[in-house]
Amino acid sequence: MIDSLCDGAGEQNATIACFYFDFAAQKELSITNIMGALVKQLVSGLEETPEEISRAYREQRGAVGGRRPLLSDIVKMLQTASSKKRTFICIDALDECAVGHLVKLLDSLNQVLQKSPRTRIFVTGRPHIRSEIRRFLEGRVANVSISPKRDDIIRYLRSRLHEDTTRDAMDSSLEASILKKIPEDVSEM
Amino acid sequence: MSQSFSNNINSLNTVNVSNTFTVADDGPNILAWLSPLDPRLRHQDIRDQRVESIGEWILQTEEFRTWYSSNAGGESDKPVLFCYGDPGVGKTFIR
Repeated sequence: MIDSLCDGAGEQNATIACFYFDFAAQKELSITNIMGALVKQLVSGLEETPEEISRAYREQRGAVGGRRPLLSDIVKMLQTASSKKRTFICIDALDECAVGHLVKLLDSLNQVLQKSPRTRIFVTGRPHIRSEIRRFLEGRVANVSISPKRDDIIRYLRSRLHEDTTRDAMDSSLEASILKKIPEDVSEM
Repeated sequence: MSQSFSNNINSLNTVNVSNTFTVADDGPNILAWLSPLDPRLRHQDIRDQRVESIGEWILQTEEFRTWYSSNAGGESDKPVLFCYGDPGVGKTFIR
């Protein structure tokens, strides 16, 4: 998805930020660092760093030992960066975001949209977080159900069979049977 | 006239150069200050594992097209596209 957006970003002159949640990796992540990573990518996609962000940096750098931005600073910076240019924010596996973070994240995105409503946000996740998303972004969410399509499964199987390192054990009838049976079973899921 | 015009250009250039210098100087520091994380690395992993053209159908859906091209930001605009599915259906890998 990110790549498709990147391909289209040129024509829309857009800037893109992504974040992938992962149960295993999320423990040490603070919400400020997660949201900060979005700002970081958006700023990288702009021709120049917005003055508001440089100023915030210079002010905090002056503090004793240098200070990290707070979540409220980060949200302001997200609002600033996303209002400079057409912006896409992609968040994968939102259901793997820690519960305490989820609310803050959705609230932050809501604030970004209020400031720059042209921003596009792409989210993937399991169905159960739908109600949580709706709670914060009521009326502003379009839903698409993702299920594996037959053609996708066949493409995937062909690609994996092609990479198979034990080709000796494979003959054309086994291959044909795999390509027939697995897509059938999956469509019954 | 032509002399003063070229002087102006020179002075503009000087201003530009010094601006670029400040940005180039602070740029990487600002990025590091914003966050130590780099989700682009994870994105690269996923790209490497993905099979070409899987999930392209989503780009053709009405929901995606409307979401992608809408510029309005009006009342009926839906700026958030939520793609949901059970574990393993390929949400991460859609093209």
